[in-house]
Amino acid sequence: MFETIIGLEVHVQLNTKTKLFCSCPTSFNHRQNTNTCPTCLALPGALPVLNEEVLHKSIQFGTAIEATINQVSYFDRKSYFYPDSPSAYQITQLYTPVVEHGKLRIDLEDGSHKIVRINRAHIEADAGKSIHDGEISKVDLNRAGTPLLEIVSEPDMRNAEEAVQYLKKLHSIVRYIDISDANMQEGSFRVDVNVSIRPKGDEKLYTRVEIKNINSFRFIQKAIEVEVSRQIEAWEDGTYDEEIIQETRLYDANRNETRSMRGKEEAADYRYFPEPDLKKAVITNEMLKTYSQIPELPDQKAKRFVEEFGINEYNASVITSTKETAKFFEDMMEEGISAKNAVTWLTVELPARFSGGMDITTSPVDAKKLATLVKRIEDKTISGKAAKEVLDYIMQNDEDIDTVIEKLGLKQVSDTGAIEAMVDEILSKNQDKVEEYKNGKEKLFGFFVGQVMKASKGSANPQAVNEILKQKLS
Amino acid sequence: MQIDDQLLTRLETLSMIRIDERKREEIIEELSEFLNFADNLKELDTSGVDDKFAMDDAPTSLREDIPSCNTEISESILKNAPQSDEDFFIVPKIIE
Repeated sequence: MFETIIGLEVHVQLNTKTKLFCSCPTSFNHRQNTNTCPTCLALPGALPVLNEEVLHKSIQFGTAIEATINQVSYFDRKSYFYPDSPSAYQITQLYTPVVEHGKLRIDLEDGSHKIVRINRAHIEADAGKSIHDGEISKVDLNRAGTPLLEIVSEPDMRNAEEAVQYLKKLHSIVRYIDISDANMQEGSFRVDVNVSIRPKGDEKLYTRVEIKNINSFRFIQKAIEVEVSRQIEAWEDGTYDEEIIQETRLYDANRNETRSMRGKEEAADYRYFPEPDLKKAVITNEMLKTYSQIPELPDQKAKRFVEEFGINEYNASVITSTKETAKFFEDMMEEGISAKNAVTWLTVELPARFSGGMDITTSPVDAKKLATLVKRIEDKTISGKAAKEVLDYIMQNDEDIDTVIEKLGLKQVSDTGAIEAMVDEILSKNQDKVEEYKNGKEKLFGFFVGQVMKASKGSANPQAVNEILKQKLS
Repeated sequence: MQIDDQLLTRLETLSMIRIDERKREEIIEELSEFLNFADNLKELDTSGVDDKFAMDDAPTSLREDIPSCNTEISESILKNAPQSDEDFFIVPKIIE
């Protein structure tokens, strides 16, 4: 039996307005090479000046993971030569990062929790982008110098599920505290996975393999699984020492395999040294106090939802997994409906009707509308079944709930007088069956209910029909 | 530290430049000279000095997060690039 050891490195692009060391805008999708200046293009004589907002966001993150915030941290220079880095080095924090020793609580499928330790989070500058085109490569340096926070976990995860849950929680937190857009497709939340195996019970760490830049949670899960099988197979075949070497591999989603990126490795010699162009980064007590203010985090929110609204822990964690869903739920609760109904309609009925990449942020039905619909069930204006029809309709048509109920003729008749009249009519039409019922054929009760509902074209409140029938037949 | 032919080859790889055969010996000599010069620093006893020591102990200055961009500068930089096309810098094919 083998045990899997996983550590994760996540590069989070901070959503500051300007770059890490110069005032160039960080906006996404601008024309190539327009957001550049002598500093981020590394022209001789240009010097870096640290963006205070980067320290602010780093402190917020450190606070969110209950980490140590180093009020004095340093920058280091990592040398590497690649055309998307005009300076031929990256400014990073190797020796004294701004954030150290944090932790994250992850939620597992069986309802249990686990604490994953975070070794560090350090500030560094992003590189530009290159597009390969035949015999040439095109370089766009708009992204060069954008601030990143690299978040490095301890090797605390033991399977792909734990790794994905860690990433989901981390993703959720950086979005809650609004330090990053954390968009995996656009590259503002980039994941590198370190994977190794060992026989169960062994304490030693074996050779770890790094899998780089996988851009979805699903592919991360698959990449880990397929890499673990490769390592176990090599172990069992007796070829572990030759085949499993410390290297960087790429995940190929089409073939569901990891592939070696040999070549780049050999040249790696970063020759780190203290960055001579920057003095130490100091966080004053006042900055620490102001910048450690953060909004309510997903776990705190989930706990509050359980206490305040009486929903179960599982539902609370589903609703708080993104801040948008949590906000939607809170907005629904403002309308004074039952939490249980709000959860069902928000987590089951609404998403079931999403199509074409729609999600809670683009839903045509907003929180107030969905809550109004639930309210109409609760005040017995419509039945739950009718409410589903209304929802189908308003997903397509932007109309008022009450107007739609009228228009579709779904209003429930709770007026006892009207129901009584219908009941009387049905009973008098079916004298023979009334006799049979009274002689003990009790299952006929369902028949009477069905007839009344049919007569009302489904609009009668079934509960009222039941009560009146019982009364009349006794 | 001695620079030899093997180390020079490694430096070529790291810096992605090729050194002409005829110039190798001269460069090895020059680089060795640089290193010997830097070796002078070893005469200083730094055992009691903190590795974070800096001549200026003041913190680095901070900048407000307010964007500004002068496209004239980026345009003229692009114009001066050895090769550019549609506002991209063009470089030899990068092998992944």
